[in-house]
Amino acid sequence: MTEEKLLTIFTQILQNLLDDQSIVLTMETKRHDVPDWDSFNYINFIVAVEMELGIKFKVADVESFLSVGDIVDSAKLLIG
Amino acid sequence: MLFNTYEFLFVFLPVTLAVFLVLQMLSRRLALGWLIVASLLFYAYWRPINVLIILPSILINFLLARVLLRLGETNSTSNIGNIVLGAGIAFNLSILGYFKYLNFFQTMLNDVAGTDFVMTYVILPLGISFITFQIIAFLIDVHGRRIESFTLRDFCLFVLFFPQLIAGPIVHYREMMPQFQNISRRLDIEGISVGLTLLSFGLFKKVVLADGISMHVSPIYTLASDGGNISLITAWIAAIGFTLQIYFDFSGYSDMAAGLARFFGVRLPLNFDSPLKAKSIIDFWARWHVTLTRFLTAYLFNPMVLWLSRRRMKKRLAGMAGRKPNVEAFFSLLAAPTIFTMFISGLWHGAGYLFIMWGLLHGLYLTINHAWRLIVPRLWKDKDKYHLFMAPIGFFITFVAVVFAMVIFRGPTPDAAIEMLSGMVGLNGISLPHNLMEPLGLVSIMEPIIHADGSSAKEFVFASVWVFVLTAIALLLPNSFELTAAYEPVIGYKIRNDHKSVLYRFLT
Repeated sequence: MTEEKLLTIFTQILQNLLDDQSIVLTMETKRHDVPDWDSFNYINFIVAVEMELGIKFKVADVESFLSVGDIVDSAKLLIG
Repeated sequence: MLFNTYEFLFVFLPVTLAVFLVLQMLSRRLALGWLIVASLLFYAYWRPINVLIILPSILINFLLARVLLRLGETNSTSNIGNIVLGAGIAFNLSILGYFKYLNFFQTMLNDVAGTDFVMTYVILPLGISFITFQIIAFLIDVHGRRIESFTLRDFCLFVLFFPQLIAGPIVHYREMMPQFQNISRRLDIEGISVGLTLLSFGLFKKVVLADGISMHVSPIYTLASDGGNISLITAWIAAIGFTLQIYFDFSGYSDMAAGLARFFGVRLPLNFDSPLKAKSIIDFWARWHVTLTRFLTAYLFNPMVLWLSRRRMKKRLAGMAGRKPNVEAFFSLLAAPTIFTMFISGLWHGAGYLFIMWGLLHGLYLTINHAWRLIVPRLWKDKDKYHLFMAPIGFFITFVAVVFAMVIFRGPTPDAAIEMLSGMVGLNGISLPHNLMEPLGLVSIMEPIIHADGSSAKEFVFASVWVFVLTAIALLLPNSFELTAAYEPVIGYKIRNDHKSVLYRFLT
């Protein structure tokens, strides 16, 4: 799956989660760039991404993702 | 040795810094070695025997971490890494359990079984709660391959660095070590100036403000624990007063820690960010003891929620994700993990029923806050208008909730806390000192509502003024980090727009 495709999916998931259609995610977006994207919504987001893509992140990785780009890269690896 | 003692300020700190400054020009290795020796002396000062507890613990943890590192490098798919990590966490928790909780478990056992079993009283080694969490995070990070190399010296420095040793912040290895490794070989005038500024702010907050208000608030709690009757106004003064006391104590200590670290060319993470200005309880915990919240979120709450969410997914139960979570998912994926995490937080703060109650109450607060956040978008479509309208209300509710819980935290006994809380909700009536009401001619006018009692008018006025002034300082003034923001006082510090104080906006 391409970076763009993943970013589109991620953006849709987060828009639904936070009920905010103005959110646009890029590879550089960090959590504090998005209002209300707190630690709890972050886990919700991760689980929603796992569900959507049928993958499972490593617990340790979930805590080390610094930007959306890190999540995209990790997801790409897991999809194979 | 506490930061606000003469021994520390006039002997330990000048000597440690002077030797460090000379050594850093000669060799970084020597300077860092000296910091370890000085930190051990700092730790040993209170009870030398503590060193015999912390040194073996450091050595064992170092060896465990080395094993984890090797297992990570060989990329073995076996479960040995998890087992070693589990053993390491268990080892550290049992040290903490023995020193911090043995006495409490014994009391609990006696309470439940009605026995009167007395065990030897174990004295808590200084800072062990902080050290334990910090080391656990380190082991997890090594296991998760977030730390890829370290030496015994690095590890000792990470655990023992005296500015953060006894009262936090709880730091991560990866945010500290690069700084130690890049310590300047030249005199860092800016670091020392910022350090001195923060140390002075912190000392003032601790010695003048926190200890000052404590003198006026403590007698009220003593009265409550002696079975005295605490009426509405006095109860609120005591409750807000103690909240301010602990606020300035902690804020002062955080400033001092950040300042001391800067003397040695190191920035600590932000730990205290004007929490009483918070507009929700979620916001409060993002500002109060930031590094504890960060630790509990990353190493307890998140893994727990991740695990629970995945388990529910497997069973094809509804998840939290999406705009309309169902009630059952909310309870199992949010309420339960939140309350459990805050229960652990309460227990970590102290071994006692009241600390646990305090933690559980904050867990409940957070759960209500999260539920509200889910409901609000359905009731209120215009986000901007909502924030404008709710900000003051949110601030007020948060303040009252925090103060209320702080009474439970303070104790000292459950009975005293109940007495104080009863007073706060008006069960003990309203009264003011007779000597205050009489000169103002209020005794007969107010009699049906406010009863005149025999307490000291002078003490009442003093306590009220202290509470009023300190509340104003906490709510209106910019904090130490905002004032020194140009010099990045703590790691990556930037003034957040929505955090700016009223006066800060006015002045800039």
